[in-house]
Amino acid sequence: MRCPNILVFLTLAASLQAENFAIRGVTLHPVSSPDVPNAVLVVTGDRIADMGPKAAIPKGYKIIEGKGLHVYPGMIDSASVLGLSEIGSIRETQDITELGDFNPQLRTIIAINPGSEHIGVTRASGITASVVVPSGGFIGGQASIVHLDGWTWEEMAVEKSAAMQMRRASIEAGFGGRGGGRGFGAARRPFAEVKRRYDEQMQQVRLFFEQARAYQMRKANPVLGFKPDLRLEAMIPVLEGKKPLMIVAEKERGIRDALAFAEREKIKIVLAGAREVDPFLEELAKKNIPVVLPDLYQVPMEEDASIDEPLDIPAKLAKAGIRFAFGSYNIERPRNLPFQAANAVANGLPYDVALKALTLTAAEIWGIADRLGSLDKGKFADFILTDGDPLETKTQIKQMWILGNPVSLENRHTKLYEQYKKRL
Amino acid sequence: MTRNLVLMAMLASGIRAQPVGTAVIAIRDARIHSASGPVIAKGTVLVRNGLIEAVGDKVTIPPEAWIVEGAGLNVYPGLIDPLSTWGQPTAAGAGRPIQAPAPGPTPTTPAQLEQRIQTLDEGGPEERPSNTSWVRAADLLDPKSATLVSARNAGYTTAIGFPMTNVFAGQGSAYNLAGARAGLMVVGDPVGQMITLPARGFGGTFPGSLMGILSYVRQIYIDADYYKAAQALYAQNPVGLQRPAYDRALDGVIASPRILLPAGRFAEIDRMLRFGKEMKQPLVLYGGAEAFRGASLLAAAKVPMLVNLRWPERERDLDPFIKEPLRTLETRDLAPSGPAELVKVGVKFAFYSGGVERPAELRKAGKKAIDAGLSREEALKGLTLYPAQIFGLDNRLGSIEVGKIANLTIMDGDLFDEKSKLKFTLIDGSKYEPAPEAAPATPESNR
Amino acid sequence: MNRRLFLSSLAAAPLLYSAGETILIRNAKILTVTKGRVDGSLLIRDGKIAEIGANVLAPTGATIVDAGGGFLMPGIVDCHAHIGSDATNEGSISVSSMVKIEDVLAPDDIQIYRGLAAGVTTSNVLHGSANTIGGQCTVVKMRWGKPATQMIFAGAKPGIKFALGENVKRAGGGTNFSATARYPATRMGVEDVVREAFNDARAYQRQRDEYQTRLAKGERVLPPRRDLKLEPLVEVLEGKRLVHAHCYRSDEILMLLRTAEEYGFKIRTLQHGLEAYKVAKEIAKHGAGVSTFADSWSYKIEAYDAIPYNAALCMKAGVLTSLNTDAPVTQQRHLLQDAAKTQRYGQLSDDEALSLVTINPARQLMIEDRVGSLEVGKDADIVLTDKHPLSMYAKVQKVFVDGEEYFDREKDMRSRAERETRRKALAEKLKPPPPPAQKKGAR
Repeated sequence: MRCPNILVFLTLAASLQAENFAIRGVTLHPVSSPDVPNAVLVVTGDRIADMGPKAAIPKGYKIIEGKGLHVYPGMIDSASVLGLSEIGSIRETQDITELGDFNPQLRTIIAINPGSEHIGVTRASGITASVVVPSGGFIGGQASIVHLDGWTWEEMAVEKSAAMQMRRASIEAGFGGRGGGRGFGAARRPFAEVKRRYDEQMQQVRLFFEQARAYQMRKANPVLGFKPDLRLEAMIPVLEGKKPLMIVAEKERGIRDALAFAEREKIKIVLAGAREVDPFLEELAKKNIPVVLPDLYQVPMEEDASIDEPLDIPAKLAKAGIRFAFGSYNIERPRNLPFQAANAVANGLPYDVALKALTLTAAEIWGIADRLGSLDKGKFADFILTDGDPLETKTQIKQMWILGNPVSLENRHTKLYEQYKKRL
Repeated sequence: MTRNLVLMAMLASGIRAQPVGTAVIAIRDARIHSASGPVIAKGTVLVRNGLIEAVGDKVTIPPEAWIVEGAGLNVYPGLIDPLSTWGQPTAAGAGRPIQAPAPGPTPTTPAQLEQRIQTLDEGGPEERPSNTSWVRAADLLDPKSATLVSARNAGYTTAIGFPMTNVFAGQGSAYNLAGARAGLMVVGDPVGQMITLPARGFGGTFPGSLMGILSYVRQIYIDADYYKAAQALYAQNPVGLQRPAYDRALDGVIASPRILLPAGRFAEIDRMLRFGKEMKQPLVLYGGAEAFRGASLLAAAKVPMLVNLRWPERERDLDPFIKEPLRTLETRDLAPSGPAELVKVGVKFAFYSGGVERPAELRKAGKKAIDAGLSREEALKGLTLYPAQIFGLDNRLGSIEVGKIANLTIMDGDLFDEKSKLKFTLIDGSKYEPAPEAAPATPESNR
Repeated sequence: MNRRLFLSSLAAAPLLYSAGETILIRNAKILTVTKGRVDGSLLIRDGKIAEIGANVLAPTGATIVDAGGGFLMPGIVDCHAHIGSDATNEGSISVSSMVKIEDVLAPDDIQIYRGLAAGVTTSNVLHGSANTIGGQCTVVKMRWGKPATQMIFAGAKPGIKFALGENVKRAGGGTNFSATARYPATRMGVEDVVREAFNDARAYQRQRDEYQTRLAKGERVLPPRRDLKLEPLVEVLEGKRLVHAHCYRSDEILMLLRTAEEYGFKIRTLQHGLEAYKVAKEIAKHGAGVSTFADSWSYKIEAYDAIPYNAALCMKAGVLTSLNTDAPVTQQRHLLQDAAKTQRYGQLSDDEALSLVTINPARQLMIEDRVGSLEVGKDADIVLTDKHPLSMYAKVQKVFVDGEEYFDREKDMRSRAERETRRKALAEKLKPPPPPAQKKGAR
């Protein structure tokens, strides 16, 4: 409507064969450097070949007129269950939570359903990559990073194993009810009992890490009859500090334990879902521990909490100099990530930090900034074309490219929309 | 003098716990707190045949009276617990509740299903679940209950007991805390219908929620009115009329002179005042943790409040990491100031034992209200005269006045002084001294 | 004293502008929703909007509020919330029309304040969706700090909740896992429950009429027993009570419309109605409204065809459409943003998008003569935001209900530290003494 030539282009099917092309007349938002108005972006194969006000368009390249439009790097969801979950209430469509307490050998990458309707719906918001995280027991398995395009999970993969997910043992004895504490409906268990269970669980986790270390030694010095152990084997990159442990901890005690645990085990961690961050701002900054924000569309944790909690968390982290990224956690939420980021801006987060958290900072946290996260020469051509700020709902995402391929923004919702619009 | 000796000899001979049934007793030279009038610094209470015959500083003691030297003693009206389970069966067999039928297994045959649906169709107010409105505390009273001993040891002489199971739990009865048979102990009955809000689960039987309970109570009162009208019409002339079905659940409601509704939070006080008004029943609220917030509402509605002496406290064994909300803390801090606020605006209140497990702690709990601004006189009334007035029993109980039942509590110091000890009580004119109590079942729970 | 105490314990800062005060809000971009945008001033007198214009003279004694170039919009109306009540579901029976949310209002629920802080000034507090015919609902104004009676929206038509589909079936134990069975367990059964209930209601209605006839003939006769379950259903039949029906799929929506038509009553709103777009024509013809989610989907199978274009499509079909929160399922603090999402999904205009959370839900609740737009004579329920309210970057700064200020962001922020200090002091004061026996090992 506002840009007919683009719309025609949009109707092409997903994952067309990559075709070298250039977009001209657009405002570039590289994220890694200042915005460039009236610029050209050149894509060769799956990479950004050149960009800038005067970038030359090689012969034979398809030219897209982007006057008045904007190009942003594709956004990254740093904690999702995309492809692992289809319909919330139907157990058979869930592949997030395995049985057992310690499952480091599990890999999300191989369970991602490329046909999930959620992938297309998520893309429509400008999200091009997703960190897919399992959860279950204490160690849920390996998070993977995927492009939101591809016929198979293999084609989608950016990193097949990017991090090990771990959840803190829970000690919530239960308190209060809705809105944080009028005392309705909460079946509270005695603290002593809960604490005892918690301590047991903490011990289990410690023992598991000890086992893994012992295995590491055995493996390095194998004797006759050494038999690989898939579970313990999977822990080695974590123990070696090559793969971060993504620890989900929401409350003060959990976060404190997580930090102490990382310190003791001398491992690299990413803290996820943290809400009671106030006591740890200094420590997180000093140790350069990155954070994946909690789902920001949650109610404040307690009755006396700020009306802005948890939307005010990103600003606090930014002020303390802590790196962070946004995560959706819930299968319904990914498409709202850009809006969450904008809400965080409304709550004091600088805009450029918000945009980076959705792109470059996320890529840095996950160690893929050499390929993704910004518009830079040599990086993957994962970006979006919009008519404005992608964090505003009023803005329309016009087109998306992943690995240089134009990707359709059509999805289950747009199809039903078009279908039933005809019935009006 | 000789009579005193006889008394002392009896006490020495090991029958201290037994009531000393004496026709005439005079307690002289004691400090008398009548609750209804000024304190008599040095006076006499004369008791005859279980009633107070005279009180004052110029009472002539008849020669047949046993004399108790009251110098250094304080005489109070017997303490009354206006919402009590003392003497009532313990929870297990309490009130012989009519339980709603347990849900059956999932129906499998069409016939079962038919029956099941039938039952479900009837699931509604007309079924009268959770209703034992006809049950009376007086009928459940056990004169041998150990709880009576500990209550007496704490200076209590009367309880207004209530069945506590079911929404319509049943009718309260006032009874003295000692007597040979239950029938001899009762001093007033029935005094009111107890409404409780049992915690009920989702998907059980109706009513399964607070609003279900309230609408159920509403329907029952509507039905009771209808029942009365139907019976009246039928009694006039039954010819040509369908006879109204006998319904004890409604009879019990109709027999109750007032309704007791629970209200702790401000919102609940507000809610139950409105609800009680709609029921068109004389109303008494119980709970009162936030009476300090709701005093003016109670004053406007002229409704008395029974204040639970178990003041709100931090949940036992709470996670130390949990931040309790300011509002919870404020309520806990200010709850004991409720009675003082109520007095200030002219609301009648009375203290009840509530969740306090040992009666001996009740006076200590009462002292908290004094520390929070309640005068000692009003605190005393809250344990004596006011409960009697609230239940319309002040013509026989609640103060030391001629003609009233001789229920007295005699202390060796001020009632609210922690060091004071109970010397003895008179119940129906019989004397009871503190007796050894059965060890408390769970000392843990009293911390 | 008591009032002060009550207020002090709640999150609200003391009210600055009180009821009945004359207030002139100047230097504002006024989004009336129904009558375009006016850059200028808005005058509040006696709790009502007295004047709107580019230049409004301040009456003597009026309090002047400088909006700082911010935006004024009508207070938000949430047509579907479960906040401010101590109970939500009477889950025991399929027809629980006798229960009333009004009986269990909880004005001390912190969610009221949180909603208020997001600009919500009116909420339709509904019974839950466990029953085919649920309880009676209550429209409240978010007068935080006031007792329940003063929260009730006086004059709002009473309503009742219906529910169709999965929730009702699930509560019924439609699976083999449930020990208790409750009819219905299918959508067929759900229809039957509605029909049976209104069959009963009609019979009850006739019984009452019959009584009047016999009484007129001078017969000795008792009136029929008042039945609190059937009375509200008779009110539905008589058009005196609005039906708000929780539903998802197009088939069940159509079923309900047809059943209602058969019994001669109207469905006022289809709540959620995530597939309403599939039968938008039929809904428009029946005259029902749709109150839906912005973009919730896929949390259950009946939400798999839910699309964020639902509101836009319904609107285009001429259906009176609104967005709701189902709070606390989704939060009132995002309701404005939910409205804004229709600009991404459906490209609605600003006024169309805003109407989804203001005048349209007000119309659905039949309180549009009082709230839902900024018009002279309406209640002064007003929200001040720093940026355009449909921007993701906007924040609510002030909220007035009936001309009384109930929320002010700066004051909220200031009072927060003070409240925290008080909380800490009280926690210290009320700290239980450590049990003397357990010194060892305890930290």
